[in-house]
Amino acid sequence: MSKEKGTMIGLECHVQLNTDSKLFCGCKTTAEEPNSACCPICLGHPGTKPVLNAKALDYAMKVALALDCEINQEFFFSRKTYFYPDMSKNFQITQYEIPVGEKGHIMLSNGKKVGITRVHLEEDPAALVHTEGMGSSNFCLVDYNRSGIPLVEIVTDPDMETPEEARDFLDQLTIILSYLKVFSPTTGTLKADCNVSVYGNNRVEVKNVSGKKGVEKALAFEVARQKHVLLEDKEIAMETRAFDEEKGTTRATRSKETEADYGYIFESDLTAFRLKKSEIDEMRNKLPELHGAKSKRFTEAFGLDEYTSKVLAGNFALGNLFEQVAKDTDANLAANFLTRELMAVVNRSELDIDSLELDSKEISSMLSLRSSGKITEKVAKDAIIVYLTKGVKPTKFIDGQGLAMDLNKGEIEKAVEKAMAENKAAVADLKRGKQKSLNFIVGQVMRLTRAKANPKEVQNIILKRIKGE
Amino acid sequence: MKKALELHEFVKEVKRGNISIAEHTEKILEEAEKSNSKFHHFNLIAKKSALQHAKEIDAGIKTGQHKGKLLGVPITVKDCICVKNFESRAGSKILTGYLPLFDATAVAKAKAEGAIIIGKTAQDEFGFGTFSNNVGVDFEKPLNPIDPKRCCGGSSGGSAGFTALTSLAHASLGQSTGGSIASPASFCGVAGLTPTYGRVSRYGLIDYANSLDKIGSLGKTTADAALLLEVISGYDMNDSTSLKAEAQDLANANPSNDLRIGVVKEFFKACEEKVQKECMKAIDKLEEEGATVEEISLPLNAKYGIAAYYLASTTEASTNLARFCGMRYGLHGKLEGNFNEYFSKIRSQGFGTEAKRRILLGTFARMSGFRDAYYLKAMKVRTKLIKEFRQAFENLDVLVNPTMPLVAPTFSEINKLSPLQQYAMDLCTVPANLAGLPHASVKAGEHNKLPVGLMITADHLQEKKMVQAAKAAEGLK
Repeated sequence: MSKEKGTMIGLECHVQLNTDSKLFCGCKTTAEEPNSACCPICLGHPGTKPVLNAKALDYAMKVALALDCEINQEFFFSRKTYFYPDMSKNFQITQYEIPVGEKGHIMLSNGKKVGITRVHLEEDPAALVHTEGMGSSNFCLVDYNRSGIPLVEIVTDPDMETPEEARDFLDQLTIILSYLKVFSPTTGTLKADCNVSVYGNNRVEVKNVSGKKGVEKALAFEVARQKHVLLEDKEIAMETRAFDEEKGTTRATRSKETEADYGYIFESDLTAFRLKKSEIDEMRNKLPELHGAKSKRFTEAFGLDEYTSKVLAGNFALGNLFEQVAKDTDANLAANFLTRELMAVVNRSELDIDSLELDSKEISSMLSLRSSGKITEKVAKDAIIVYLTKGVKPTKFIDGQGLAMDLNKGEIEKAVEKAMAENKAAVADLKRGKQKSLNFIVGQVMRLTRAKANPKEVQNIILKRIKGE
Repeated sequence: MKKALELHEFVKEVKRGNISIAEHTEKILEEAEKSNSKFHHFNLIAKKSALQHAKEIDAGIKTGQHKGKLLGVPITVKDCICVKNFESRAGSKILTGYLPLFDATAVAKAKAEGAIIIGKTAQDEFGFGTFSNNVGVDFEKPLNPIDPKRCCGGSSGGSAGFTALTSLAHASLGQSTGGSIASPASFCGVAGLTPTYGRVSRYGLIDYANSLDKIGSLGKTTADAALLLEVISGYDMNDSTSLKAEAQDLANANPSNDLRIGVVKEFFKACEEKVQKECMKAIDKLEEEGATVEEISLPLNAKYGIAAYYLASTTEASTNLARFCGMRYGLHGKLEGNFNEYFSKIRSQGFGTEAKRRILLGTFARMSGFRDAYYLKAMKVRTKLIKEFRQAFENLDVLVNPTMPLVAPTFSEINKLSPLQQYAMDLCTVPANLAGLPHASVKAGEHNKLPVGLMITADHLQEKKMVQAAKAAEGLK
């Protein structure tokens, strides 16, 4: 940490809101075929006018509220004018003077507060497609399916000191977005412009970095690069750089005009939006419980350790599943099983936990079998793998394979007796105190019972017999 | 010139079966084609589709299917208002070949009432002018039918010119940003109505300055223009600035003689004496007939109107015109160099001088370092000017003043004016436009056979009062 002291990182995150239609027209936000989801409005045809998608505004307000921002009671849209082939109007409708929200914050997992400068709503430009690669292609294609897709821009204060903190910031942010259900991590895009300066030197902006991993990598490279420049006694140029994802490096781009030269003016095709304080309060009250509060509640209500609570609450679907499962079975067992075993399968098989639609009753029944010793840990693990990957319900799996250790005591006694009779040498060794022999005899009993006995119980019976009779 | 039927009379006759729409449409198209080689009122004459439409309506009338307030009425549409599949260029070369995929809401409403679109009228490129002398590259200037050495006024010059020229029933859709309906109405001696900002949907209007643009109407008489304005008014969900205001019966509004009229001192003083004289004569008669007349002063509007208007309008225009770059629609060229070079080439070729001037002016006014001093200052001034009007309307129904400070000038006179002198000609029309107030220009009199227009401004959403006053002024003999 101390090594990184003096590094300042601020992010401008662009998050795609998962509305069904675009920000200013009725076109779909999802489409396969290029240029199949566009209309005269998102193509910027002369004569067309934008009409704001109320849902997108609602989503942006939710984000601002969840980030503890002050919500402006009156705000409007602006035109940011610059010429670029991905711009259907050569201006972008965005917010400038007064955004939806300002002055919020996010808590990092290390307890640090990162300030949110502002949260605003804007439209995405079209996508430029260089079919023969950026460098070699002498033409490019434009796909307007993306033109007009709603983005929420979240600008932070330069409060982060390491690339890891920036990554954690994005993790915390995406958890909040998933709680609000305004962002789809599978189909939505998350991009960030990363501002970095070291030891109070010039600020460098790495533009348009995709994804959380990308941001962390780009920043790691950029911090190292800047420090290296300083070690060589050179000056850090105030510039805009681009991130090369494959190489993991950044390079200077042609210097672009400064922000002020976008010549912002009001977007007078849209009217100003006015909200009553009571409307804002109502929206705030309707926000779902977010992960910070939920994890605290898990610790208090279920006696879980802080780490496990955080992991559970850190994933909206997982947290919900846990609450359901914990209703019917031991909460600690459920927490451990879900965070370790279930998540291991999810990660290994690259599953999307949000779309799994798991039956909590099935999982709680299985865990109850486990806690009463009716199934082994291995069976429980196998059952969840089969459930997640093949959709076979755990209770069915256990029944079908005859995996439950449901022999009664008499039957177990019989098997023990048989095993001890068949392995006299091992019994003798055990009596002399050789522990390994105990495992051997237990194993024999398990073989005889086809693993339907609880090994712990078997062990107890054997020891009792050795000692007493 | 033979007196044409007023539109409401025309429609009545059509419904009685006394007029063949196909014949009438054919006649007016013939007139348009014949006059256009000399007067250039049209950027497009839609002969085939108009005749087709006329035949359909004729057939429909026989089976009783077609109704509508404008049944069979030939309508011309200013070039900047989109008509589906009609080349709509806003008078600019850069929009060569642009065929809108949709009708402007105003056009759709007129069509729905049975109007037949016969063509698109000439204008200053994107509305950038007061005389229709700033037409786009390769366009012809529309000429005044009263004296072809003179201009029609602008920017809706073709609309006013043809409205004055035709001997047949007809009305025109115009558009005003700073006075572009009133100016040509005044110079051509027709009635021009500009509604409250937001009363008529702007959907389908090729933008000049979004916070100022209004679609309005022109007709031989106030009644004609009022009927068309009534038809195109109303809320439209496709235009976020459209107003949910109660509809007014404008077509049947009676002339009113008991209005409280304010004569705007500063605007009068700025006009040529002959213009003042004609307007004063009309006002005196209104007073004789029962109106209360008093002089009022709008010092802020007189002093700062032009400056605030040209800053606000050019700033918005400079962003609106950014989209024209030789991609997707309009003028295209050979793809050479990088995108910046290509865009610059197309824009250099496609825009005329005045468009380039306003892009530069508007871009400058919103640049960092100047934005506060020009753009934002203009916005603040605009609010003050609206307040000044609001006070004036506390005790008055309408304000009157000459529409233009002079009668239609000749093109050689215009050529002697600097751009700034040309802008100054909008002194009387710009304030009401900045404030989004409904205003009319009607013929008050003549000087050497050249019409003099009287401008009547009403408070927000008081279109009915505006029409009542305009009808009263028009009826004076």
